[in-house]
Order: sequence, then C-alpha cells, then structure tokens
Amino acid sequence: MLADSWPANATVQSSVMASTWFAFAAAAAGVAFVVLALVLYPLVRWRRRPGDAMPEPFRNNYALEIGWTAVPLLLVAGLFTYTFRAEARVDGLARHPDVVVAVSGYRWGWTFAYRGGPTIDGPSYPPAVFGERAAAPELVLPLGETTRIELSARDVNHGFWVPDFLFKRDAIAGQTTSFDLDPSKLGTFAGKCSSFCGLDHTRMLFSVRVVSPRAFIAWERGRT
Amino acid sequence: MSAAAPAFVEAPPRNDLLGWLTTTDHKRIGILYLMTSLGYFGVAGLLSLAIRTQLARPNNTFVTPHEYAQLFTLHGTAMIFLFVAPFALGLANFLIPLQIGAADMAFPRLNATSYWMFLFGGLVIFLGAATNEGAAASGWSAYPPLSEIKISTGLGQDLWIVGVFLVSVATILTSINFVTTVFIYRAPGMTMWRIPIFTWEMVATSLLVFMAFPSLAATLLLLFVDRHLGGHAFDPAYGGSPVLWQHLFWFFGHPEVYVMILPYFGVISEIIPVFSRKPIFGYTGLVLAAFAIAGLSMGVWAHHMFTTGFVNNPFFSFVSFLIAVPTGVKFFNWIATMWRGSISFETPMLFAIGFLLNFLIGGITGVMISSPPIDYQAHDSYFVVAHFHYVLGGGSLFAIFAALFFWWPKMFGRKLDESLGRWCFALLFVGFNVTFLPMHAMGILGMPRRVDSYAASGPLPALNLIATCGSYVMLAGVLLFVYNAVVTARAGRPVSNDPWGANSLEWWTSSPPPEHNFDSLPPIRSERPVYDAR
Repeated sequence: MLADSWPANATVQSSVMASTWFAFAAAAAGVAFVVLALVLYPLVRWRRRPGDAMPEPFRNNYALEIGWTAVPLLLVAGLFTYTFRAEARVDGLARHPDVVVAVSGYRWGWTFAYRGGPTIDGPSYPPAVFGERAAAPELVLPLGETTRIELSARDVNHGFWVPDFLFKRDAIAGQTTSFDLDPSKLGTFAGKCSSFCGLDHTRMLFSVRVVSPRAFIAWERGRT
Repeated sequence: MSAAAPAFVEAPPRNDLLGWLTTTDHKRIGILYLMTSLGYFGVAGLLSLAIRTQLARPNNTFVTPHEYAQLFTLHGTAMIFLFVAPFALGLANFLIPLQIGAADMAFPRLNATSYWMFLFGGLVIFLGAATNEGAAASGWSAYPPLSEIKISTGLGQDLWIVGVFLVSVATILTSINFVTTVFIYRAPGMTMWRIPIFTWEMVATSLLVFMAFPSLAATLLLLFVDRHLGGHAFDPAYGGSPVLWQHLFWFFGHPEVYVMILPYFGVISEIIPVFSRKPIFGYTGLVLAAFAIAGLSMGVWAHHMFTTGFVNNPFFSFVSFLIAVPTGVKFFNWIATMWRGSISFETPMLFAIGFLLNFLIGGITGVMISSPPIDYQAHDSYFVVAHFHYVLGGGSLFAIFAALFFWWPKMFGRKLDESLGRWCFALLFVGFNVTFLPMHAMGILGMPRRVDSYAASGPLPALNLIATCGSYVMLAGVLLFVYNAVVTARAGRPVSNDPWGANSLEWWTSSPPPEHNFDSLPPIRSERPVYDAR
C-alpha cells in the first residue's frame, strides 16, 4: 500500500530531488548501521559481570579523536557538494519559459492567472451558500514544457506544495518568488497548502493536471 | 578539610509553604523549576494526546479546527518554552553550585526572580484559553501576518506574547547567574578544566542564550507594537516584511534548539561514565565540541527558510551540515567511554542508551533536511515533525528521564523504584518510536504539519492510527513515572551520599544536601574528585 502511494516524481526537477533523497538515504543508512553497531557492541561485550575488576581508565587517544573529526568532515563535504549541484538544477530558471502562471494564495484557496490566458479562481469566503464548498481549483500544465510559477500571497503566508513534484515553495504575503516546473508525466496530482494559515489550512487544496501540449492549447482556448 | 566553625548559627530552613515561596536556596529553586516544568510537560502532553486523538482517523470531529490550532500552538509553546528548556535550567540550578563546590548561586534573589517570572509567564500563556476568542492559535512560531491583529484578533495572542516575553527574560537572567557562578564561585582546586561536563554544557548554553534570547524578546515586542501601537514591521500592506519576522525569530529559534539539547548532552556525559565505571573519554574534545556546536548554531537560522526563496540556501545548508561534525565527536566520545568498560543497566543508563538510539535517528534526518533539495519536500511536513520530535522527544525527553532517575536520590534522599523504572523506560521507548517513526513516511507521502485531517484513502489513515496508539503507550509510561514518584516518597529507603558510585562533587555531600551544601570538600585534583577520594 505504501509503495503505491509513494510520490510520483512527475517533473524533470523532481527526478533531481528523488536522486538526492536516495543518495542521502543510502548515506544515512550506512552511517546509522555503523554507529548503531558501535553503540550496541560495547553494551553486549562489556556488560558488567559478577567479579569484574575496575576497567582500565583510559581518557584520550588523540589520533582516534582527530580521525573521527576528519572523516565526518569529509563526508559532509561530499554531501554538500552533491547538494550544491542538485540545488542549482532545481532552482535554475529557464531564460524563456513556455507558460507563465501567477499563483496567488489566499484564505482559503488559490488563484491561477495564466499570462495571456485564463484566470482560474478558487473558492470564495464566506461561501455563497452556507456550508457549501466550491471545488478545489485546478492548475493545468503542458507536458514537457517549462512553466514559470510566480508565487505570492494576498493575506497571510501560504505554501504551494505538490508532493508528487517533491517540491514546495512558501507564498509570502506581499512578495513574489519564481520557480520553474517541467512536468514529465501525464496525470492529476494533489496540491496543498503547506504553511499554516488559519482555520481552513487543512482544506486549502488544489490539483495539478498535466496534459499534452496540444490538449493544453485546446484547454486554454476553451477557458479564455 | 573540615570548615572552620561558623561564626553564627544558621537558622534551620523553614519547611512550610512560606519557606518554599520565599526561598533563595538554589536547590529549592531548582526543584521548584523542575517540578513546575514537569507540570507544564503534563499539560503539554495532554494537549498532544488531544491532537493525536483528533488525528486517529480522517475527518474526525473530536475538536474543531479553531480548537485544534490552539492545541498545537500551546503544545509547541509549552514543550519548548515551559518544559524542555526550563527543565535544564532547573537541573542546572540544583547541580551547578554542587558540582563546582559552591554554597549557592552568585545572585540568589535574582535566581528566585527568574523562577517566578517563568512560572507566571507560563500561566499567562495558558490564561489565553480563558478569553473569548481562546488561546493563541498561530503556531509556536507565530508567523505574521497570521499573528497580526487584523487576522488574530483575540487577546490570546497578546497573552502569548507577554508570557513568552517573561519566560525569555527569565532565561536570560538565569543564564547570567550560571555564568557568573561558574566563573567566580568555584571551590579551591576546581579549575575550569576540572568542572564536570554538565556544567561546561551549561556555560555553552548560557552564552548561547545571551546571543539568541534578546533577539526573541525584541521580536516579540515588535509584534506587540504592530498589534497595538500602530507599528507595521511585519505588515506587507504598509511595507513591512513577514520574512523579517522569520529572520529575527529563527535567529533565536535555531540556537534555542541547542539550548534545548546541549544541557542534555551534559546529562548523558555524566551518566555514561558512572554506569561504565570509567572516566569520560575525550573531556577536552567534548568541551570544544560543545562550543563548536554553540558557535555554528548561530549561523544556521535560515535553514528554516529554505523554501522561502529569499535566503542564500547553499551557505545555510553548508553550516548546517558542519554541525554534524562536533555532534558526531560527542557521539564517538560516549561510545569510547563505554568501550572496554564494565557496563550495568540501571534505569538512568537505560534512558541514556534510549537517548543515543533515538538521537541517532533525529541527528541523521537532520543532516538529510540540511540539503535544500530534500527540504523542499520535507519542510512543513510530518517528516520535519518526526525529525524534531526525535531530537527533542527521543533525545532531550529521554535525557530528562535519565536525569530524574539519576539525581532523584540526591534531591530527595530516596531512590526511585528500579523495576518500575525499567517498565517506564520500556513503555516510553516503544511508545515513542511507534508514535514518531511512521511520521517520516507521512511527510514523504505529502501530509503537511498543523492539519486537522488528511486524505481518507491511501496509507495515511493506517499510519496515523499507529501513531495515535503509540502516544497512548507513552501516556502509560509517564503515569507509571508519577506512580513511581508517589511510591518512592511513601516507602523509598533513604540512600547514602553516593548511591551510584559516581564521580562529581554533588555526590560528596549528603542526600539531600544541607542548606549550605558542603560540610567539607575533598581535595580536587581532577574532574572526578569523589572517585579520587574513594
């Protein structure tokens, strides 16, 4: 069940992040295994037995201490180099994005305004009919093309998170931040608000539908 | 080396309520601090059970969304500001003068002031729950604009600001007391390189408090000015910056994490040598590592802001990675202390081993989320919730229980029951891991933090139910501890000065110590004066 629900890794950027996750998870498992063995071994090997003499009171071993400072230093230097390269590929912005969408978070919904195209509005508050909730807004993206998201928030901070893209960015009130999404898989993916924004934070949802470039043009024409 | 006859006869300390209310004795203030912080822990723990009950199944209606927001705000605020940090202040209050051979703290009345500010600061925060619009509900980090008066209109947010402000000032005053006491009031022969590791860690912690907490206090005042005096520091409608709050808050907030863990590194460094029958390995390395961690922790605050797009991610990522190195040094020192020792497994040692195992996981996931491409998924998700609970719950909380079992006989003259203690450890260790291990998966699967529900399909319902079950196992462990304390108070047998065969000066004097702490002191020739004298 867990494997079916694992993030779909559905953008070019997310494959970079997925590799980072796997590389770090492997390093983490290795370090955890070694340290765990080093903690558990003395507990078994030198557990107190009746008639034990007082153990030898050694206090220092400078070579060892320099060693266990230097080896982790090399390890984190390696991890940082990996991170630095990966992040440049994730955060890099294309010179000429194919689609530009201004995304704006508000309490509690999202507006997607396509440059030279349609504007998709989320639910309005308070709702027109008491207790009725409008459908979550849908962000439509073309497969294999670069979409620039220009993200901001209208009232308080929100967070634009698509778990299947392994990516989120904070939507900060009064400021705009940009990132690129290059979808690599067709399908519909859940989106949510990641930054606590009040009562309906939990229900501040949206969805992302990735379609072929041809279908995207047809959709855009139909909505404009 | 008995002291000269006193020139005047000391009045015996009052043992009634008035005696405790007016005390300036560091041991009593320490015990008041400890018991008060444990009381706040009980409340914050019950709040977390309400959170877990709400999340036991999707679309649950155990509490309303507004109640839920108050629950996690008060849970986080109380655990951080009223329990994990002040418990260490209480422990240090009790221990520092004893460990360095002093009669009291440098400023006893300032010490009492700190305690009362801490107690009432906490009460003021909780008082919000009695107001019309309820307690603060914008999270323990209170990000504006959410916490601005336009959105959070209630008095609860103001009481939160005032309460946290009082606690932060109390923390600064106490830290001044600690540093002065350690630098000036050490017994003859107790050089800086002979003070116990716990006291060293408190020196590092106090210096960190000096750098971090004024930023918190100032930031809280700015928010108050925004709310009531027409300020616009964080209000984007008037050119203010919500990002500025994040910088100022985390400039305090990340050092605060180390304020909540360095003292417990000290606790572990005191306990492992005793139950391994060896001196601490690499004393100098441990001290230098503490200061390396304290120094580096001043330069990592913006790793809480990787997903804002407004900070230099590579710089803060690199410094965050670097902290793993001195932390690793400490870990290896503890392992080397156990190496070729003679290890016994009394309850304090069990909790210390639990600390090592849990903190290992929390430390490793910490290195992972120091990498921005990983943090882009993990930030504000249950993966991060799992990470910091492994550090502060699996780490600090286990060290807190280790400290309670270890120093209880010194504080109250009676040892807590061992077999109840083992059960308490087993329940807490199993309960903790059942609660928090599944949260790593929840976060990767896309569950944000601070939500009151989640998708009804997929693996989240099962994972959440498991976590909720674990939290009730932890409750059983905590209740068993309370029962243990009651049984011990009624039927515990008095103990000698040094029931564990320990090393530092607090074990030289009686259990509990007299008001003036020491009738005599052994010669101090190393960091283990009591061992040397045996």
